[in-house]
Amino acid sequence: MALSKKTEKCVFTFESTADAMNMEKHCKECAIAGRIIPVPTSITAGCGLAWCADIIEKENILKFIEEKAIKYEGVYSVFLR
Amino acid sequence: MIKKVNALGLTCPLPVIETKKALEEIEKGTVEVLVDNEIAVQNLSKMADQLKMDHSFTKEEENVYKVEIIKGEGIEKEPAPVFEAISCAPAGKKVVVISDKNMGVGDEALGKVLMKGFIFALTQLDKVPDTIIFYNSGAFISIEGSESIEDLKKLEEAGTEILTCGTCLNHYGIAEKLAVGSVTNMYVIAETMMNAGSIVKP
Repeated sequence: MALSKKTEKCVFTFESTADAMNMEKHCKECAIAGRIIPVPTSITAGCGLAWCADIIEKENILKFIEEKAIKYEGVYSVFLR
Repeated sequence: MIKKVNALGLTCPLPVIETKKALEEIEKGTVEVLVDNEIAVQNLSKMADQLKMDHSFTKEEENVYKVEIIKGEGIEKEPAPVFEAISCAPAGKKVVVISDKNMGVGDEALGKVLMKGFIFALTQLDKVPDTIIFYNSGAFISIEGSESIEDLKKLEEAGTEILTCGTCLNHYGIAEKLAVGSVTNMYVIAETMMNAGSIVKP
């Protein structure tokens, strides 16, 4: 048995763990798609947390981030399982 | 000339060390090594590759392998260190043990996020663990409402056995809520851990 195929996701990075956890809190409250993950090594070799969702959610999430004035660093597209 | 090394019964990395000595003792020729396991064969092959020497092996009988390494002329006296590539790792099962709902000691909110992240990271590996065991407050991770359920289901689909301590589920009053894998007992936990090739505890 093998793990499922990787699919394209949008991954939002933050300047701090606190910012990432703040994002999680807001997204949970408003039922915004996605989840917190460790920052994929393809984005940076450093450590940290990121918000990950299906690529189709990208615009929604960007809008949400703007509405709530959430601090974030960047957005990437990454293939993950 | 042929030099023979009997490495039957020697534990890793001794077969490699003895073979290396034998190779150093001859100017040129063949070193014939008898070993009793495949990991030793792989390690000897790796060493021969690093030394740029021809090698081959045959399985003589159950648990007896003959590895031949041919030392040609012009091999440098002091070859590159070979022990980096030697792996004595047992081929046993990889077992992940999760004994707490948080990963590490410190800020609880961070500990939760880290544990979630760890389980997610397991799903991104090319080779998933053979077994994950949850006990004590780790049992909260395999029940309804846990944010790791989807990841654990993915791992289960990929072949990971997911076990949660029944005593723990009962103690916390969450036995009805188990959402992935199956309930286990201390005998299975002890046996699985004792038989593991390696145990990973985040």
